[in-house]
Amino acid sequence: MAVTALSAAESKRLSPRLRKLEDERWLAMALLAPTAILLGLFIAYPFFEGVLLSLSSARVGDPGHFVGLKNFHKIWDDSIFRTTVWNTFWYTGVTTVFKLALGLWLAILLNRHFKGKAIIRAFILLPFIIPTVLSTFAWKWMFDPTFSVINWTLFQLGFITTRINWLGDPDLAMTSIIVINIWRGVPFFAITLLAGLQTISPELHEAAAIDGARPWQRFWHVTWPLLMPVTLVVVLFSVIQTFADFQLVYVMTGGGPANATHLFATYAYQLGIGTGLLSEGAAISLAMFPFLFIIVVVQLLYIRRVETR
Amino acid sequence: MAKTKRRSVLKLAGGAAAASMGGMAAILATGRMPAFAQQRTVHWLKWVDFVPATDALLKKEMMPEAEKALGIKINLETVNGNDLQPRITAGIQSGSGADLIMSFNSYTHLYANSVVDVGELAEEVGKREGGLFPYARAICSNGKIFMGMPWAVIGGMIAYRKSWFDEIGVSKFPDTWDSYRETAKKLKAKGRPFGQTLGHTFGDAPGFSYPYLWSWGGKEIDASGKVVLNSKETVESVKFMTGLWKDGMDEGGLAWDDTNNNRAFLSQTISATLNGASIYIETLRKPDQYKTEKGVQMSKDILHAPLPKGPAGQFGFHLLQSNMLMKYSKNQDAAKAFLKWIHTEANYRKFFESQKGFATPCTAKWESDKLWDVDPVMTPYKVAARLGQAIGNAGPPDAKAQEVLSKYIITDMYAKAVQGMPAEDAVKWAEAELKKVYV
Amino acid sequence: MIEGALWRRWVFYNIPLILFVFVLLFPFYWMIVTTFRPDGELYLPWNAPNYMPFWTNNPTLEHILYLFEETNFMRWMVNTMFIALVSTLISLFCGVLAGYALARLNFPYAGGLGTAIFITYLVPQTLLFIPLAEIIRNFRLGDTPWSLILTYPTFLIPFCTWLMMGYFKAIPKELEECARIDGASRWKAMVYIIIPVAVPGILSSGIIAFTLSWNEFIYALVFLSSPDQKTVPVGVTSELIRGDVFFWGPLMAGALLGSIPVAIVYSFFVEHYVSGLTGSVKG
Repeated sequence: MAVTALSAAESKRLSPRLRKLEDERWLAMALLAPTAILLGLFIAYPFFEGVLLSLSSARVGDPGHFVGLKNFHKIWDDSIFRTTVWNTFWYTGVTTVFKLALGLWLAILLNRHFKGKAIIRAFILLPFIIPTVLSTFAWKWMFDPTFSVINWTLFQLGFITTRINWLGDPDLAMTSIIVINIWRGVPFFAITLLAGLQTISPELHEAAAIDGARPWQRFWHVTWPLLMPVTLVVVLFSVIQTFADFQLVYVMTGGGPANATHLFATYAYQLGIGTGLLSEGAAISLAMFPFLFIIVVVQLLYIRRVETR
Repeated sequence: MAKTKRRSVLKLAGGAAAASMGGMAAILATGRMPAFAQQRTVHWLKWVDFVPATDALLKKEMMPEAEKALGIKINLETVNGNDLQPRITAGIQSGSGADLIMSFNSYTHLYANSVVDVGELAEEVGKREGGLFPYARAICSNGKIFMGMPWAVIGGMIAYRKSWFDEIGVSKFPDTWDSYRETAKKLKAKGRPFGQTLGHTFGDAPGFSYPYLWSWGGKEIDASGKVVLNSKETVESVKFMTGLWKDGMDEGGLAWDDTNNNRAFLSQTISATLNGASIYIETLRKPDQYKTEKGVQMSKDILHAPLPKGPAGQFGFHLLQSNMLMKYSKNQDAAKAFLKWIHTEANYRKFFESQKGFATPCTAKWESDKLWDVDPVMTPYKVAARLGQAIGNAGPPDAKAQEVLSKYIITDMYAKAVQGMPAEDAVKWAEAELKKVYV
Repeated sequence: MIEGALWRRWVFYNIPLILFVFVLLFPFYWMIVTTFRPDGELYLPWNAPNYMPFWTNNPTLEHILYLFEETNFMRWMVNTMFIALVSTLISLFCGVLAGYALARLNFPYAGGLGTAIFITYLVPQTLLFIPLAEIIRNFRLGDTPWSLILTYPTFLIPFCTWLMMGYFKAIPKELEECARIDGASRWKAMVYIIIPVAVPGILSSGIIAFTLSWNEFIYALVFLSSPDQKTVPVGVTSELIRGDVFFWGPLMAGALLGSIPVAIVYSFFVEHYVSGLTGSVKG
């Protein structure tokens, strides 16, 4: 921080440096106090409580007693839990890849001047702005087993003769929620990547073009590396959110059919709040944390490496 | 401009600071909603009735009457049936919520530690009304206390389209699974399959899968509590279900909740479905909106029949509703007075008649009530409370059985097989899951 | 313009763009059509003849009326607005202060604290909701808006802090130094000089925080139970499913009307939202 330079300059004219540092420290503490209190009380403390809860046999109405890692053993053996883990990774992986690809494509499409650009830019963020639950209901109606408008369209166009069972077939159900998640996330990727694209000076592209690089090569060797820092941060945010997703699955399928779309969060909710097995629900929620932690650490290291290159 | 912005920022900052740092005590004191501080209130949380007329009757007439008669305020809240259990958990966990909460099946056992004994009222009403059916007693009482005041049984019968069945030459609803499958196959070929949900929903899915299992001779546990699900009979039933599904069922059923089959039936995409009487009652409510393809009122084309017989007999799993008085409630006396009031014959009758047979009361004398003769289409429902078989067959319908039900293990066993898992594996999976519950 | 270039522009740019916009906005159009479509037209199966799904000739207000008459929808709107506004203010307050401290002050553990705040972002609500329900009960906040107003900042503050740090770092040190040389204390310099300059950043954080509050679901689902305490997402999900017969009309009406406030507020602050979003990523 460049503040040291200031302190050095000040120290000649004002009070001893020691007092200035004290002042700064006190001020910093005061400024950070509200944040520290809120986050401590409502994140650190519940996290700690959650860990204790997962190590107990609590269920609703019964605080239970300490049982060590029994809940974790139980969920490890639970085939539904294993399905959930697989579902969550698959869901997160596929959606992130597509959100990145489509978001980047959209960003490139927007990275020019044309009439109405501002309006279009404003409108395409709508899927991301509107409360997820509400827009998911619109999709649920679009995918309804009996009344789906998508089926209607495909039928009219002659592509299908029998109904597509969007939400009743396990693979199609997973595909459906993946589609909706991508729909929702592409604007976020597009807008942030667009900003990233706009910081790349056009001269670089021109120079590369003059050197004979084709569009694809220009993209790969000029655009992509410069976009990397922004991309990685966007992907990081998105992965965290998607991994912990709840609303979309809760509304669309509730985890079904036959647990084919359960994610960590929805299964934790079903067990903990739905069935009242609080300790097991807490264990499932906590099971998210190591995975998240590893994913984030890996990405952060990667980001650091890219930035220092 | 900058000055005002600065000032407003400061003001906002100051205000927010006061709010967030002015002491948790201040927040807690002001944050408590003084909604019903003045008089005693009873908050009754029940499901959204599948017969809208009943909720309208309760809200508009009966609750105001009760308020006048008892001198209390009543807050009647209705939620989607699938959301009752989370509400109960949230209420118990947060120590506040509705005073009376409706319970389905054996929730009563699951939450036994968090409710107040209502045995006195239950026995009194039972004695007065010709005896409480064993089904209701097994579910609402654990031998020591009554966890819930029995309310009603929602019978499940198969609603079917008479004219479509006549067209293929079937005059009586099939009463064996084989003929059921044959009929379904014929109708599906004409684009009119049967429809059943195997999804995670509280009513129709267990209402079908459990009695189906039992009719083949499958059981969850034996009388001593040992898991006996993995038997030849169960595997047979699963294999048959897989074939039945492909041959005769609407395959979207895997994603249905309790409302989808109603809508499918009413929009004429399926020909038969197990349901409470709400489909028929809805056609009575709006006779001109629901017409068959021939222009006839659909209410005249619907008949009801029980589930077919299997090798081990004929069963029905009917949803039992009771009302639990929560221990955390601060209005227990008022709530008890309210329960007593609504179970007086005059008041309960109003409820019973608005249901038109959708709900069957839990005491014997209502079975011979003349309501059942008013509409012969509804008569099959009158035996629902007497003949219901409870979950946890052949053991008690206790908390463990409820846990199995809440986790949809039996329903999922069939769902998995229908989606391609070999029958033996599906049964093994379900058995393993059951063993984890019945440790 | 050369023939080739025009063709190229349409195939590679305009048509894909149009497709994107169509797909991104179609569900909202669908919401609107369904809201105004009478029940009779609503429940025609996918392969019924004479079915015109994309337009209705008999628009009706019955679903919207149902929404206002038979549910507490207005109350939910008020609740959600109130909760969103207060949480946003609290988070802005904390985030601005914390962002300034981390960006401009030199003190031990600055880096560590910054990382700690970021780590809390790693702890999603779906991880904490079960133990938090217990804590909310112990504080007797259950079923009140304060259960959300105090917990929403947990995911809003890290974001606001992160964003404000970026904005504060971009403000030249000279601005502060001048004020200090003129005799202002650190606190005064911060309040009167720096914060006003960072107002665009504050607006950005604010609008993003506001939309994130509207979007929160699981805390609202678990901590609130009475119908008149609910927020719009929870109310629409739990109370518009009435009985086992028709409900999609009011549901879409609820979804549509529930989305409008956020959309309107957003439309006034689009630029700030976008720069906030991009700033957070570059930070």
